[in-house]
Amino acid sequence: MSFIEIHCSDVLSSVIFIIEDQIQELPRASEIETHIAQCLPCQSEVAHERAMHDLLQSTLRRSCNEKAPDGLRDLIAAQLRAQINGPSEVITQFSMTEISIEIDEFGNVEHREIQIEQTHIQHFNDSDLDK
Amino acid sequence: MTSKDLLLESAADRNVRFERDAMVFADQLYAAALRYTKNPEDARDLLQDTYLKAFTSFHQFEEGTNLRAWLYRVLTTTFINSYRKGQRQPQIAQSELEDWQVGKAQSHTSDLGKSAEVEALENLPDSDIKRALQEIPEDFRMVVYLADVEGFSYKEIAEIVGAPAGTVMSRLHRGRKQLREKLADYARELGYQVAPDKEADKEEGVEK
Repeated sequence: MSFIEIHCSDVLSSVIFIIEDQIQELPRASEIETHIAQCLPCQSEVAHERAMHDLLQSTLRRSCNEKAPDGLRDLIAAQLRAQINGPSEVITQFSMTEISIEIDEFGNVEHREIQIEQTHIQHFNDSDLDK
Repeated sequence: MTSKDLLLESAADRNVRFERDAMVFADQLYAAALRYTKNPEDARDLLQDTYLKAFTSFHQFEEGTNLRAWLYRVLTTTFINSYRKGQRQPQIAQSELEDWQVGKAQSHTSDLGKSAEVEALENLPDSDIKRALQEIPEDFRMVVYLADVEGFSYKEIAEIVGAPAGTVMSRLHRGRKQLREKLADYARELGYQVAPDKEADKEEGVEK
């Protein structure tokens, strides 16, 4: 079944937009909707795609439900605490880029970039804590 | 109060808040890490890295926005930046990505083919489902997982994987298609009468 503008193949290749409810994103959304409303094979195809999509989704959700292994959660929590309780430091990073562009009388362009970076790490000792 | 006290105090508060809000997603993120890395050792490492990174950049997270989506973004970026490097992943050419609307020779499937496909999918074991997911290209696998298991919208996925929404839509379309074709292959091995999808076969050839 085909119409002047929209063919069944146009509907079938846009089926992702239809099942994702994003039909309005398609350039010929209303024509496609009209085609589907009038074309039984396309209706059946869209219904099948929806059903397969729902089935695939529930199948995937059923299969991919592993739990994080015992201890991994505790390990992560311990790592997070170690980050805080370990020797603290404050890192100050500073960077700047100097750009110069020179154009001489002949129109030659010279472009220079100089990058300056500085990192300052300040450690806190435990003795600071006792103060 | 010394500056160390201030630092410790805010960090401790932050740690409590982070643990309270973010750790509940550990199982979900682990299952996603398994799909991304395809093995339990790397998945463990990826989950640890993700939580450390999320923790150190937790101040960038806006309270009240979607923490789960934010954690998936950290997971996905960490995976793309660290775990994927060195692996030679076949990158998908842009020209391959945008052509879902190009008039391919698509035709209607018979009702018999449809019911066979449904029956096969209903009866395949979980191990086959996971195997099929592992075998589709990584960029496709990520978006299919995020959409169909985690239920993110394609706009959220675009944020998570850092790709335009149109690209996500196209990967989703192709990923699901390839996944279904893999599952149909397994079903045929088990004796189900599922018709081969010529177009998906062709696409697979393009990917490799």
